Amino acid sequence: MEKTQIEELVTKYNEGVADPKEIKLIEQLIESGEIDLTQLRELSGLDEQIHKMKMLSPSLNLDDRFYAALANEKKHIKKETSFSIPSLSFLFPRLAMAAVLILSGFSVGYFLQSPAQKSEVAELSQEVSDLKEMMMLSLLEKESATQRLKAVSLTSEMNEVSDKVTNALFLALNQDENINVRLAALEAIKPYVSKSSVRTKLIESIDSQTSPLVQVALAELMVSIQEKKSVNALKQLLENESTPREVKDKISESIKILI
Amino acid sequence: MEALSDNVLMMRVKEGDLDKMSLLFERYKRPLYGFFYGLNKEQELSEDLVQNTFLRILKYRHLFRTQGDGDFRAWMFHIARNVNNDHHRKKRVKATEDLENWQERVGHHENQSSEMQHTEEHHMLSMAMDRLPEDKREVLLLSKFEEKKYSEIGAVLGCTEGAVKVKVFRALQELKVIYKQLEKSH
Repeated sequence: MEKTQIEELVTKYNEGVADPKEIKLIEQLIESGEIDLTQLRELSGLDEQIHKMKMLSPSLNLDDRFYAALANEKKHIKKETSFSIPSLSFLFPRLAMAAVLILSGFSVGYFLQSPAQKSEVAELSQEVSDLKEMMMLSLLEKESATQRLKAVSLTSEMNEVSDKVTNALFLALNQDENINVRLAALEAIKPYVSKSSVRTKLIESIDSQTSPLVQVALAELMVSIQEKKSVNALKQLLENESTPREVKDKISESIKILI
Repeated sequence: MEALSDNVLMMRVKEGDLDKMSLLFERYKRPLYGFFYGLNKEQELSEDLVQNTFLRILKYRHLFRTQGDGDFRAWMFHIARNVNNDHHRKKRVKATEDLENWQERVGHHENQSSEMQHTEEHHMLSMAMDRLPEDKREVLLLSKFEEKKYSEIGAVLGCTEGAVKVKVFRALQELKVIYKQLEKSH
């Protein structure tokens, strides 16, 4: 069919005067690619509207269910891949060979890797750690203590945590109603005690703790990082009448070491 | 670029790096939900079907093959269609509804439509979409969520790119007629 005839046909269709036989012909020309859907004005307008239509978003419940299922599947894989370790004498030559191969693979890979690939990998790793952070922050707000514990433990999988994450961990340490979550938050904060801001916040936290377990754990941490600035806060605990005697004994011991 | 990344991510999942699945989930949970909601108009059911689709992707990850861009998306929508069909087969839902049922559904949808559409025009369009037969509604939804990539849709539906275009043309023709009827009655 000639181009002018096709154009005539399209014009007829756009004016709404094409008969069923001509519509059938248009279908054939669409199938063969000689007519594009965008040429059919009214239909293409309708199509555009469909594409612009906003859709509902799924609820957070879907996220919870999906991530739980994913965690399950990961556990399942771990179980499948666990195996008994053969003797070292059997393994050693193989391990040495594998190490050599891996190292040479890495060095070849390093030199062959293009900058685009490097940036894609970096982008992906960033995306994964952002996701973990987002998931951790949202899990911390859950009613269930188990979920909040899961959130705190997620930080151990992060290479580097943002201030947002450490602030959330301190919020859990100071305000969570569950003692286990508070203790887990304290554990999760430990890797970052080299930062002075973290140490200051830990000292401030001593005052807001009422649970003997958390008080003792904080006192022990202060001793292990030799944080002398914490002595005043610990002394205040000693003066507090509601502090149990066993805790007071432990704290006096800690103060002695720190001084 | 994004389609290629989808394939790369899915290949990593296939190799056992399941964490990458969460990236695909974050990218596609909304389009999939939109697809299922467009077909079923039920929030909870649509979430169930999205969950089932991702579970199947995980279960059958060893079957994923890639030959070019858009493979993952086509594969995912192919699974999504099967999940939807299986659900309806199990529930023995009738393929066609009588007018009374249909009106009930539109009424139900009208209550929720404020969340879905912002303009009267879109509202009417959504109502017209609901009146389309399921196969036609499905092809338009696939076209929406696969961003008019007709060859990809062909892979999902098991037909040629040209045949998909004809299906879209027929669906749009029927939609136009319904839309005009609705305009007159308003």
